[in-house]
Amino acid sequence: MKNRILISLNILACVCCIALAIKFIAMPIAAKIIYANQYKTLMFQCDNVMRDHMIAKNRVKHERSKKSIKDLESAEIGLISCHYYDKLRKKMLIWGLTEHDLSNIGLEAIEKNSYDLKKYVEYHEFKY
Amino acid sequence: MNLNISFFMIFFLYLLPTHVLSEDGLSKILRKAILRGGYESPQSLYVNNEEELASEGEVLFKSKHMSLNSDVSCSTCHISSHGSSDGISNAAGIGGSGEGKERLLSGARIVPRNTLGFWGVGSKGFKVFFWDGRVDFSHYKVISQFGSNLPSKDPLVTSVHIPVVEIRETLEEDAFIISHTQESTITAVSVYKAIVENLKTHERKTIEKIADKIGINYNEVTYLHVATSVASFIRKEFQIKNTVLNEFVTNRKSLTSKQLEGGILFYGKGNCASCHNGPHFTDQKFYTVPFPQLGFGKNGFGIDYGRYNVTFNPDDLYKFRTPSLYNNGKTAPYGHSGSVMTLYDSIKAHYDPLSIVNINEYDELQRHEYYKYLSKSDTVNRVNFLTDSEVLLIIEFLRILDFD
Repeated sequence: MKNRILISLNILACVCCIALAIKFIAMPIAAKIIYANQYKTLMFQCDNVMRDHMIAKNRVKHERSKKSIKDLESAEIGLISCHYYDKLRKKMLIWGLTEHDLSNIGLEAIEKNSYDLKKYVEYHEFKY
Repeated sequence: MNLNISFFMIFFLYLLPTHVLSEDGLSKILRKAILRGGYESPQSLYVNNEEELASEGEVLFKSKHMSLNSDVSCSTCHISSHGSSDGISNAAGIGGSGEGKERLLSGARIVPRNTLGFWGVGSKGFKVFFWDGRVDFSHYKVISQFGSNLPSKDPLVTSVHIPVVEIRETLEEDAFIISHTQESTITAVSVYKAIVENLKTHERKTIEKIADKIGINYNEVTYLHVATSVASFIRKEFQIKNTVLNEFVTNRKSLTSKQLEGGILFYGKGNCASCHNGPHFTDQKFYTVPFPQLGFGKNGFGIDYGRYNVTFNPDDLYKFRTPSLYNNGKTAPYGHSGSVMTLYDSIKAHYDPLSIVNINEYDELQRHEYYKYLSKSDTVNRVNFLTDSEVLLIIEFLRILDFD
């Protein structure tokens, strides 16, 4: 009887360990592998429509006309792209990625072209 | 026979004065155009009311302790051997080692704009600073991030206040900086105080000398005094010196025929002087020149909205300040993101931008952004078509604005 209980406790402990490992190690890694690229794309799309919205808003401020108001209305509808970004962001947080992880993925997206820059600078150096 | 000799004599006499007159005539036309374009001699531009602080300013300019929590000095990016810029496309800020290319490749954080040369900044009439004019004293209403709390009425001194509080340019994002990131006068004052304390610890003698020269107590030295000293050094070190152009205009010395032709193209057909005018060969206004974007840009994702980031006026999208042309032979690469390697391509970008980009290598976003640049281009309509040899002649003319 005692042995059975011990075995059961061992199994339970193993299951807990596996569950914890899945929750805190495997799931975040999997989330990063599965969703990182999609996250970068949606982040860019959200950033893009937000910038467009801001420009349209500033246009109305500087030059109020039927056209600028219509453009602003379109830009407001365009903000729906951010909803998809927000949904994926929450999903990734649930899968165990931290805010810090998400910021890092975001930074990689924002600074994507810095690799091109380094490559470019390697070829072109100026000396006087 | 006599008729032949007479004919040749008349022909010879006809040619000689015409030839002499044409060179002379061109010189006169060019001199007049240069003066009409707002030219002033280098000597008349230099004004430095605090020149006695320049030697202390030099120490601080080269001191890595100007960076509160990293290892960058003003001279990390403004390098004498690179004509006061750094020879790379985007500036390399904190986190790397060495200078220029070495710094960028050693993992420095990228500051997504090309380092502007310092020639003539702070001299008479120089009122707009940085690519996007975030310090702009050209109107009655001064533009700067300090709002109504301007640290100084001197635009250069105000500008020296900016790089030291730029995260990734000279500041690491540590706990102190994160807690002071909000834009308010109180937090800005705390950061500047911390920088001065840092300098008092590491550059004590220099700060003592500044206090002595100004006639204040050591404890009363503020960042304003530090910035005034650095500005004084910049004014002195990077003042515009005598040029071949100045000799041509003020002492009536002659130019080579290529330089002369280049000058005529610059002020004539090329219409370059429509923006590159005034004492510094810049009208200090903002235009869209379709230079390709290199690096991730000020707005991220390979986008840089330029002046718009300062004014939030959609008419200012993709506009950048006209750069000065003094010593531009030494400040390559060119453009706000340093994407253009030669003066030749730089001139081509103004009127034939597609000739300098490989559009097939762009991704879809880069192409989209580039179309926007092209559609807003101010220069394609301003600059007339120039042949390749004409571009080379303009470069010959630009070379006479260089000096040692």
